[in-house]
Amino acid sequence: MSIAVPHGGPVAAPPPPEPTPAEPNYLNHSYGIWSWLTTVDHKRIGILYLVSISVFFVVGGLAAGLVRLNLLSYNSALLTEDAYNRAFTAHGVVMLFFFLIPAVPGVLGNFFIPMMVGAKDMAFPKLNLASWYVFMAGAAFGVWAILTGGIDTGWTLYPPYSSRSSQSNVVPGVIGVFISGFSSIMTGLNIMVTVHKMRCPGMTWGRMPLFVWSLYATSLIQLLGTPVVAITVLLLGVERVAGIGIFDPSIGGDPLLFQHLFWFYSHPAVYIMILPGMGVVSEIITCFSRKNIFGYHAVAWSSMGIAVVGFLLWAHHMFVAGISFYAAMLFSFLSMLVAVPSAIKVFNWTGTLYRGSITFQAPMLFTLGFLVLFTIGGLTGLFLATLGTDIHLHDTYFVVAHFHFVMVGGMVLAYMAGIHFWWPKMTGRMYSDWWSRVAASIIIVGFFLTFIPQFIIGYHGMPRRYPNYPAEFQVYNVMSTAGASILGLGYLLPAFYLTLSLFYGKKAPANPWSATGLEWQTPSPPTVHNFDHKPVVVCGPYEYAIGVDQMGRGLPEPPGPGEAQDPASRSGPTPPPGPQQKETEVVG
Amino acid sequence: MADPHTNHGATDHGHDYAKEADSPGGLFMVYVVVLGLALANVGLSSMGLGRYGLVVQLGIATVQAFFVSYYFMHLRQGDKIVLLTALASIFWVGILFVLFLSDYMTRHMVMGW
Amino acid sequence: MSASHHSPVLKHHFEDLGQQHASERLGMWMFLATEILFFGGLFGAYTCYRLWYPTEFEYASSYMNVKFATINTVMLITSSLTMTLAIRSARIGDRAGLYRNLLITFALGTAFMVLKGFEYAHDFHEHILPGAASFGGQIKSNAEAQGIDTGKVRLFLCFYYIMTGIHGVHIIVGLGCILWLVQQTYANKIPPENYSTVEVVSLYWHLVDAIWLFLMPLLYLAGAGLKTGGGH
Repeated sequence: MSIAVPHGGPVAAPPPPEPTPAEPNYLNHSYGIWSWLTTVDHKRIGILYLVSISVFFVVGGLAAGLVRLNLLSYNSALLTEDAYNRAFTAHGVVMLFFFLIPAVPGVLGNFFIPMMVGAKDMAFPKLNLASWYVFMAGAAFGVWAILTGGIDTGWTLYPPYSSRSSQSNVVPGVIGVFISGFSSIMTGLNIMVTVHKMRCPGMTWGRMPLFVWSLYATSLIQLLGTPVVAITVLLLGVERVAGIGIFDPSIGGDPLLFQHLFWFYSHPAVYIMILPGMGVVSEIITCFSRKNIFGYHAVAWSSMGIAVVGFLLWAHHMFVAGISFYAAMLFSFLSMLVAVPSAIKVFNWTGTLYRGSITFQAPMLFTLGFLVLFTIGGLTGLFLATLGTDIHLHDTYFVVAHFHFVMVGGMVLAYMAGIHFWWPKMTGRMYSDWWSRVAASIIIVGFFLTFIPQFIIGYHGMPRRYPNYPAEFQVYNVMSTAGASILGLGYLLPAFYLTLSLFYGKKAPANPWSATGLEWQTPSPPTVHNFDHKPVVVCGPYEYAIGVDQMGRGLPEPPGPGEAQDPASRSGPTPPPGPQQKETEVVG
Repeated sequence: MADPHTNHGATDHGHDYAKEADSPGGLFMVYVVVLGLALANVGLSSMGLGRYGLVVQLGIATVQAFFVSYYFMHLRQGDKIVLLTALASIFWVGILFVLFLSDYMTRHMVMGW
Repeated sequence: MSASHHSPVLKHHFEDLGQQHASERLGMWMFLATEILFFGGLFGAYTCYRLWYPTEFEYASSYMNVKFATINTVMLITSSLTMTLAIRSARIGDRAGLYRNLLITFALGTAFMVLKGFEYAHDFHEHILPGAASFGGQIKSNAEAQGIDTGKVRLFLCFYYIMTGIHGVHIIVGLGCILWLVQQTYANKIPPENYSTVEVVSLYWHLVDAIWLFLMPLLYLAGAGLKTGGGH
């Protein structure tokens, strides 16, 4: 230990209580479906979101399966062209609006933001429950639209096709998007007010976990961007229903105006999707390197930077749509700027890893996968931001590969990492360490196989959203579909071992990963009110090097590298006295 | 241990709230100003200001909005975060306007070379 | 952990009433930010088209009913005053005053919508409508006579109906909230400690008023200086 600690030991504070078997927690303190459907407990609401978005992930995944199966053959044996349009639209709409956008804010944000800032609940608990109901209402419309015939316009819904000619369920789909947007706004608003007004004593902005910073930045985007897509789809719906509207070229309207309004939200929306994942990565990479984050302020401010700069880029989706050349140049330049805060984060995470004591449990495997895949995805974004190359790459599989790298290789992996990291806290159970590492590895390998070929065919000109393609691309499409199958298997594994852990998993201790956050200083699963005594924060969120949590108390033994079983069952040599000394007996 | 964040505990006295209430006279003055500006807006517009009409109208509307938000909506009361929220929303609308116009104002321009 | 005698108004996840009031106020302001962006998109769209078609938009605007709009503006600004006075009544515990101010605000808002109904009826009668078949009357014939593109006039009318319509929906929601406040007052749920419930609705109401203050000149006064055209 290189840091000399002047006092004899951790600041005196009552040690966290050990979970006794019969202790009431948020899961068992009331029973019955009605107690869940009328709960205002942020933790239960997080679980409600977890169950629903998992269902939508399966729906979106099945749609993806249809698309990839169809692409096995270069002249489309499986689906008609019309059905193919509906399949990729369904995949996009469901995965974006009903999985990626609500995933981390709805599940992990709702569950952990109050705990991470030391509060009893979110600022507006009833609004929180309402946000889940609104989400489900919107998703009901959306999924109903898909199951009763689908939408064939692509998730981007461009008029005049979507407003005049499309013979599909555009209006119900649009209603679904409109309604679920309110859920996004409500969650974002709740998170922001909670962070502003409900931090416990000592929890200054500079001591907040980076997960909270990321979700704050996400909420900022949700608050400011979602209303614009709301008015956009409303205008589209009005034009479709009334037969006349402001995007109609026959009365002087400009279809490009729809695209401007649409992408004003939809570009920042991709940052709504990725920023929470980046927050998760910051939490995990510090814990599993046993190191403080390299450059806390840089990472915190870069989250805000991405949120703000992300609003200035949207027309890079419209370079070949017909915008003015001068606007295109401006947006191309601005689009380069957003790479800077993203790169700062990647450099800082790498700096965190350097000389850390790294172990490779599933959360860390997913996180390391994120680092590689997000970096590749981000770099390929620069090709698309460059006006000249985008002329050739726009609407090809290069774009598809780029956004899947950042959204799946980035965000979905980060979401899986977060679920695996916080599962013991949420459920009070440990899952199989071995199977989780296997699943992470399969997912990463499957992902590479699915999407690297898509860069190649995109570069060579295969257009996106086409069911048929030149025969020379078939081998790559077959590789991609094979990879997708492996990816699917990889996603199926956690469904099994995580569910099984609920019944057969070892009971989790309060802090199985020996992490420093306030959320780990509660029992697993937490009690209804989170903390028995209001926490008082005395230091930053990642003091792994001196081995104290945010309340200044010592940490339990961290899980070792070769743990085949859960980290809870350790028997090892007594650690040296001082701040690293265990305060509590580890269950084992 | 004493909780440093609780100001006056959970029992608050009614007269604390009455002290911070707006004065009816002050509110009425703001009302007269905003109303007067509205009538001026209508009056000026019918005089035919030509090219400057839009600027004058929106300028008057902005002054009216300032009075409504500062006095009626109690922005003058403090809480920096509330002010920041209000200003940020205006700024973001500004981003929308500026960048939309960067396309719509240059759409018909032919490339320089 | 909770004090032995805390106000019945204090919600349990808050530490004290100060935190509760500050949170409610900030929460409503953040919601207002979303409303500003919502209308901002509409205003942005309008601005782009007005930049492209100034003549047609000014012509179309001259057929809008400035008299009705002016009366509506006066009523809405007055309702903002009474709504702010309602907060004051709540703060000083004047229950009768609270009722009075809330009900006057409700009445003015309702009158706004009623007048808007008359305005729309008049527009329908004059065929001041955007649809291909429904567009007609003087606004169409004069445009054709002056060589003004009727398509773009109809585009303006799309904005007129959509913007005033969405604004009207917001007024109606506001009226519902005011009625709820009246009910809460009746149920004695608004002692001085709970003035912030009134303030929160009032913030929303003021925003709807402020949006009208921008909407009105853009839709009704754009063509007010035109000697030709309807201009009533």
